[in-house]
Amino acid sequence: MSTTRKRRHWRRERLLPYLLLAPALVLLAGMVYPFLLGLYYSFTSYWLQYPNRFRFVWLDNYLSLIEEPLFARALEFTLGFTLAAVVIQVGLGLAVALFLHARIPGRAAIRALMLLPLMIPPVITALMWKIMMGSTNAGILNYLLSFLGVDPVNWFGSTQGAIVSVLIIDTWGNLPFVSLILLGGLQALPTEPYEAARVDGAGPIDILRYVTLPLLSPFIVLVVLFRTMDSLRIFDVIYATTLGGPNDATTNLHIMAYQYSFQWYQMGKGMAQAIVLLILVVIISYLLMRLWNRASESTA
Amino acid sequence: MTAQAVLYQAPQAVSYRRTVRQVAIGVAAVVLLAWTCFPFVWILLTSLKSPGDILSVPPSFVFTPTIDNYAALVMGEQRGQYSSTRPDFPLFFLNSLIISVGAVALSVLAGIPAAYALARFTFPAKNGLAFLLMSFRFVPFIAFVIPLYLLFQTFGLYNTHGGLILAYQLITLPFTIWMLRSFFQEIPLETQEAAMIDGCSWLGVLTRVILPLSMPGIAVTVILGFMFCWNAFNYPLMLAGRQTFPVTVGAIQFISYEQVLWGQMAAATIVAALPQLVLSLMVQKYIVRGLTMGAVK
Amino acid sequence: MHLRRRQLAGLLLAAPVIGAGLAEAQDDEALAYYRQAKIDWQQAKGQSLTIGLNKHPFTESLLPLIPEFRKLTGINVEYLILPEAEYFTKLVADLSQQRGEFSVIMTGPVRNWQYVTPGWILPLDDFLNNPKLTDKSWYKLDDFYPALIAANRWNGKTGGGIGEGPIYSIPVLEESYILSYRKDIFDQYNIKVPTTLEEMAEAARLVKKNAGIPGIVARGTPSVASMGTGFMSGLKSYTDDQWSEFDGKLNANFHDPRSVKYTEAWINMVRESGPPNWANMQWYDAMEAFTAGQAGMIVDADFFAANYEDPKKSKVAGKVGYALIPAGPGGKPYSGLWTWALGISKATKNKEAAWLFAQWATAPRTLLNATVGYRNYNPSRKSVTDDPRVQEIMGSWGGGSYLKTVAKNLETAKVIWTPQPERTRMGDVWARALHEIYFQRMSAADALKKASMETDKVLKEAGIK
Repeated sequence: MSTTRKRRHWRRERLLPYLLLAPALVLLAGMVYPFLLGLYYSFTSYWLQYPNRFRFVWLDNYLSLIEEPLFARALEFTLGFTLAAVVIQVGLGLAVALFLHARIPGRAAIRALMLLPLMIPPVITALMWKIMMGSTNAGILNYLLSFLGVDPVNWFGSTQGAIVSVLIIDTWGNLPFVSLILLGGLQALPTEPYEAARVDGAGPIDILRYVTLPLLSPFIVLVVLFRTMDSLRIFDVIYATTLGGPNDATTNLHIMAYQYSFQWYQMGKGMAQAIVLLILVVIISYLLMRLWNRASESTA
Repeated sequence: MTAQAVLYQAPQAVSYRRTVRQVAIGVAAVVLLAWTCFPFVWILLTSLKSPGDILSVPPSFVFTPTIDNYAALVMGEQRGQYSSTRPDFPLFFLNSLIISVGAVALSVLAGIPAAYALARFTFPAKNGLAFLLMSFRFVPFIAFVIPLYLLFQTFGLYNTHGGLILAYQLITLPFTIWMLRSFFQEIPLETQEAAMIDGCSWLGVLTRVILPLSMPGIAVTVILGFMFCWNAFNYPLMLAGRQTFPVTVGAIQFISYEQVLWGQMAAATIVAALPQLVLSLMVQKYIVRGLTMGAVK
Repeated sequence: MHLRRRQLAGLLLAAPVIGAGLAEAQDDEALAYYRQAKIDWQQAKGQSLTIGLNKHPFTESLLPLIPEFRKLTGINVEYLILPEAEYFTKLVADLSQQRGEFSVIMTGPVRNWQYVTPGWILPLDDFLNNPKLTDKSWYKLDDFYPALIAANRWNGKTGGGIGEGPIYSIPVLEESYILSYRKDIFDQYNIKVPTTLEEMAEAARLVKKNAGIPGIVARGTPSVASMGTGFMSGLKSYTDDQWSEFDGKLNANFHDPRSVKYTEAWINMVRESGPPNWANMQWYDAMEAFTAGQAGMIVDADFFAANYEDPKKSKVAGKVGYALIPAGPGGKPYSGLWTWALGISKATKNKEAAWLFAQWATAPRTLLNATVGYRNYNPSRKSVTDDPRVQEIMGSWGGGSYLKTVAKNLETAKVIWTPQPERTRMGDVWARALHEIYFQRMSAADALKKASMETDKVLKEAGIK
């Protein structure tokens, strides 16, 4: 009697999690079909305006990427941009979080205002920044900088300028998210290690280095994970400001895939590029996720 | 005398140091605020400018404000020879509300049991499933959007609120599960076991213990999910038509053939930010806490 | 007090009624006009249409009239409006899947080449020649400028055949490319209005030196949109229309020595006297810079004048002169030509209804209303241009030089691209070559040679060659 009940209970326990997961899985399963269709297209010569030339081409689209000079540049920019964006945004975010964690007057107000950038769609953010970054003193930024004696900055007109400008816009939009997560992390840290360090006579730099940062590491890895995932496939900001230019300096894989699929209608090639990007994102995310699991286990 | 001097020097140095510190803090706060708020303020100013002021060189801070741009959003016709827009904006605003609220509600409904399963049970393939659910967030929209477009056309989901709510699950559901799972894990096991001993089923534990305790977390998840939905651009562009366009797509409609209506675009941006502003002010104090809880584990 | 309040309420109540009464009267007058056409407007009654529209003054002018159209025909009209780039993305998605979401679409000559090849849009001659559907004497096809109708005809043969074969879309406006310059600055510093590329470069240099603003602005984003207007029109004119982007055998010809020479001179001019952000300039950046008084010259769409001459936003209203594009040895300009035009998707189920809409939307009265009320320039119908109200507005621009310049320009303006479905791609490749030259990564000869080779490769892959 008792064993059968236990077994029934056990069986129910075994099925229950799957049942609970079912609604979410069903909802997302609807998205698996379009994904598989996209994957299939990446193995075909699908080109919208030539429906008669539709053929299954195996790996041709992927192999042709090797000969495509733009692909190497786009891959390089995708990775380089992600590295720069993550380092800058997490670094600045950490500074802002430490600043807001200190007892300063008006902290609550600043924190509330930090949410503003999250409320504007990235496409609009980018368009407005582009206007603000006008190359002469027609742009408000250069006009304000002129009071500081800075020569007009050629924001979007040069290759390096465009990269920096995109970085700035992306940082503006995402810094609040990063700093608020890190701020939350700071507030959740235990107090004992700090007291111990102070008793040992450690200075503020030592405390930051040997106490705060290690304790904060799961949060840091987490924001690195989120920002990496989003920076690898950044689209809206580049789409609205440079569309990959000038001189292809801001073309990443996502923009390249967009151009192939939606400007030139070569769906097959565009999808192959999107799949390559997806694989890249999944691999990097997986590695970061494992790192995060380890970081949060070691501090727990 | 020397002793006195030394005695007096110390407090002076301290107060000097404190002043420097305070000035540094003040400067840092101003820089941070300027950096964060200036673009927003600039959009606000632009929304109050007439076309002539928008194009003025150098940019003007002093101008006669006009509400024409806001009036144009609601009433369409703009005074003078400035091009008019048909007032689709109120419709777009309503669409944004319907889609965002619907998408977040669906995500929370489906996400709560899923997050509960991932937080409380151990079962084979758990980590794999968790990663799979999460991985939907990774997908570049390009890879999805044309096949989704075809699928939606075939099943009559194209240009419907329902269809968009389904598509937005890509944006909100993985995020919701991820956040809620962390909140649920925060709640001590003992509390749940105690409830079980009192005769609660898993459903009872969920509704009577877990949900009430993680209300702040759920609130934050809802707000952030709402913001992600509200700001989405690419999916609605491809999957919606005029009847279902949200404000993001509506805002770029101010790029016309022979001119860009920057003032109206700015006004649309400000109006579109209002619901998020109200919502986030309402739960502001939970947001930081919620983000933290979502972040750990 | 009490009385006054009641009066006020009465007024408030009455106001909409009066408004409605006026609108009704206008409606009736309009309906009477359209009913003069000897066709049964109600023949497709009860059907529905969705119209895909680019965000545009013409579009704006149609929207308030849609109820009127419904009254006239009993056809329900839905519409979708997006800016150009997003509009074409959605349009091609719909056309390529043949779902028929859009019945009537906004298109144009060079776009049609892409849609005719796979058979996505319908030739319109059958509708035009069907007396049941079109009253030719009322509709007055000959009222359209012949060059614009010709631009929308194509016989479907890659590499030629513009002006032959069926008409695929009905033009709603005309756009050609002219030189707009700051007359005040040119006068002040005794700068000569340029008639050759060399003179233009010199004028740009002088403006920058003397007035301290960029001598010339131009579109510069790495996209086909930057190529077809000022740059390509200039190149056509520079070579007396002897150069085209293909040689006789459909090989890309960007690296032709004349093209290389022109490109070098153009890029040097832009680099030396242009704005620092040329490489990121969209059409609206260039247009707004000129409108804000931040440039001496611009070679682009003629009708941007509507913005330059609008005192409400423009800093240069009344200060702009208009001239033809600098020509080559032959002394004649060869400007490009573009028309936005209405076409019909093949996948639409309600073809007759779609044509009734297209006919209504391009009828003389409708197009006149678009120009007079909504600044839809330049008119595609002669009768609209000749209307006194239109003459009064456009005639005042540039002290009368605008209308004269446009009229003269249209004598030689034509579609300057060679018909083939990969024009967009080809233009994008070409624009990237300009960036290689501008940023001095490659010589003009090398960059243009590379662009030619890349184009040849694409055409081969597409099976066109």
